[in-house]
Amino acid sequence: MTFGTTTLTRRSIGAAALGAGLAAMRPAAAQSGFPSRNFRVVIPTGQGGGADRLARSFDDGWTKHLNGRQFEYEFFPGAAGQVGYELFVSRRDADAHHLLFGNMGPEMIMYALQRPRFRFPEDLTYFCRIDVDDSCVFVRANSPFRRIEDVVAEAKRRPLNVATSRIPHPASIGILALGEHQNARFNLVPYGGGNPTLVAVLNGEADIGVLPIALAVQQGERMRTLGVFNRENILAAKTDNAPPINAVFGSNIPDLYSSRAWAIHTRAIDRYPDRFRVLEETSARVFDDPAFRDAYDKQGLPIETIRYGNRATCTEYALGMIDLANRYRAQLSAQR
Amino acid sequence: MELDLATLAELFGRSFSLWWAILPGIALGLVVGVLPGFSPQNTLIILLPVTLAMDTEAALAFMISLYCANHLSGGIPAILVNIPGSGGAAATCIDGYQMTKKGQAQQALVLSFVASVAGGLITSVAVLALLPFLAQLGLVLRSVEMVVIILFGLTLIAVLAAKDMLKGLIGGMFGLMLGAIGTDTVYSTPRATFGFLELYDGLPLVPVLIGLFAISEALVMLEERFTGTPPAQSRAAQWKDTVEGLWMCVKYWWQITWTAFLGLVVGVIPGAGAYIASFVAYQQSRLFSKTPELYGTGHPPGVIAPESANNGVTSGTLVPTMAIGVPGGSTAAVMMIVLQYQGITVGPRLFQESPAIAYGVFVMMTVAYIFMIPMVMPLARYASRVVTVPVHYIVPLILALTVVGAFADREYVFDMVLALVFGVIGYIAVKSNYHVTSILIGVLLGPIFERYLLRSLRIGQGDIMVLFSSPIANVLWALLVISVVLPIWRERRLARTAA
Repeated sequence: MTFGTTTLTRRSIGAAALGAGLAAMRPAAAQSGFPSRNFRVVIPTGQGGGADRLARSFDDGWTKHLNGRQFEYEFFPGAAGQVGYELFVSRRDADAHHLLFGNMGPEMIMYALQRPRFRFPEDLTYFCRIDVDDSCVFVRANSPFRRIEDVVAEAKRRPLNVATSRIPHPASIGILALGEHQNARFNLVPYGGGNPTLVAVLNGEADIGVLPIALAVQQGERMRTLGVFNRENILAAKTDNAPPINAVFGSNIPDLYSSRAWAIHTRAIDRYPDRFRVLEETSARVFDDPAFRDAYDKQGLPIETIRYGNRATCTEYALGMIDLANRYRAQLSAQR
Repeated sequence: MELDLATLAELFGRSFSLWWAILPGIALGLVVGVLPGFSPQNTLIILLPVTLAMDTEAALAFMISLYCANHLSGGIPAILVNIPGSGGAAATCIDGYQMTKKGQAQQALVLSFVASVAGGLITSVAVLALLPFLAQLGLVLRSVEMVVIILFGLTLIAVLAAKDMLKGLIGGMFGLMLGAIGTDTVYSTPRATFGFLELYDGLPLVPVLIGLFAISEALVMLEERFTGTPPAQSRAAQWKDTVEGLWMCVKYWWQITWTAFLGLVVGVIPGAGAYIASFVAYQQSRLFSKTPELYGTGHPPGVIAPESANNGVTSGTLVPTMAIGVPGGSTAAVMMIVLQYQGITVGPRLFQESPAIAYGVFVMMTVAYIFMIPMVMPLARYASRVVTVPVHYIVPLILALTVVGAFADREYVFDMVLALVFGVIGYIAVKSNYHVTSILIGVLLGPIFERYLLRSLRIGQGDIMVLFSSPIANVLWALLVISVVLPIWRERRLARTAA
């Protein structure tokens, strides 16, 4: 068989077929030539915080699917994440080489309450959720409160001081909603981060604490989790079967959890759909990598909280958080 | 958390064998500490791939050496050119630079080095002996106590204002107002940011530090050169000056010891920074001095107190990190990442599961400070020669390094402009006899004071009496009143005697 001057033999057809097969097996990234350089990631919280640790435990697995390109982090904490988000949207190129890694729950509450200079989801899109970390109520091990019912009973007698990371946070909404449902009084005291919140509960400055459950579980026997703001407690075995709060009080508080996720400029998705497809596909594959679970576990984080969520799941969750923040605006914001 | 002597000896042996990680850590820490804008946590983040590739003990030895050396060398530019390498060294400028102006740069450097090394050594050994107690101390000192501790530092404004009370207080108030810029700590609502995103997180420390001290000083130097004003005394360094500095340290051994412990206590409190320790130490040192009037004129204890406290903080910061798994500061948080990446979870269980790591951290710190002695002493002689460099070389160098430093911390061009603005403010303050340190104290301590005060008031549910609700806080209040009243009483008595 001949076509012009090129002669196709069985051997050459076989070689071409083998080449095509190998090409199909190469990572999507290698096929598109993307990424062509390292990624620069904005983290809207501080160095050494939860987001920093989680992003690093994830990127080891991800980089294998991205031509070995590395992730370089920049930290822009401040104003409950507003600084990092605004900076990412307005001052980082929308080229899919710039990403953001944030905590969707509290940061979408920030978005609703502080009205920053960007629009969601028009300017920014979350596309890969890493975890679902339920908000919980916890106390120190020697606290007189043994059950969540004890906490509510006491809060009906006197306002209880509740340590929280930030006032605009899903866990803070949860405790306020519980107080509203039970006619109990909770006085939120923001400590500006998970670690100082834990210390405030440990040293007895606050009566109880509310945080994502992974942080409380990390403390082991020094903390006792009393209840979770979700329909089931996925860490029941590690929290002495702490019950879902709705199940105890018959309330209808929405599921409240923190979810760390990767985000990209929405413009980058429109301009470079092939690049975005690579990021979407490869990030989803990291969840099958045992090395990621191992790295996650090494951080002391419970692997039960790992839960992949795609772009649609992330967007639905983020919009839900914005709605919720607007409902509790009066309690969460200084603007009455 | 018990530690027997055999284990301790073994840990020391292992730590000394890690000299190959400790020495580069110290060298890098010294360089980074001298440059304003380059913090140990930023350096460790940049070097994270290196430390993650090392084995756990070597990585820890490297990080700890870098951290401690960084705290030590921040005092070098503070003494030589009135530019603190970090917030923790700001208080060192007050007397350190005055010593340089008197031609005692080398003695001041020796004082700073010995106080830093001794402070670090004393406190790291103390931590090894008192770890269970210190771990609890961090839990005893709460927001209310912190309000009073920070007030000790804030009263330094009045001390600095002693020569001209009105100007001093105006400077301090101006600093406090500047410190209020940024988002509020309760609802994260932006205040006085003028729409600048770069100010949402408050006034950044590095450009303010650089502007108020470095750029203003460079402008003053330039002015003196062009107006023909004789420059500060400068002379070639001699080894006998080093010996003289060492002798001064022996003379003030008690000062070094107690200010180091003060730094240790402040460091144990998660979130409390080195600058709280150094300002409080300076203020307390002056209070208990028989010659308080000499402070601010180049008095050796004015260098010893902040430097010793500043380095006492290093071991204190690691206590909550290792003992309760809560990082005491941002550098400790980065160290935690490395440890956790290596599969080591910090917290009380670590002392049972890996005592070599848990106690080893403090042993490594002790060893790092021991290694620093031969490394930094000769440095005093050579570093002090900076003051002999002609103004037309040193000023451009200061300006170039500091403007880059202003940018390096957050990588905002805005910060370079901010540094220049604060340079002009600092220059005007210097020329009109306002104390720039008063302004800086307000900027540094104001936001932390506000954070703890608002937190305390929320805990008290609006009742101001919460500030007097704890026995420890009440003792601290009493000491604060004494520290304010005592100098006034002493001054009046002296005036009466003189009359």
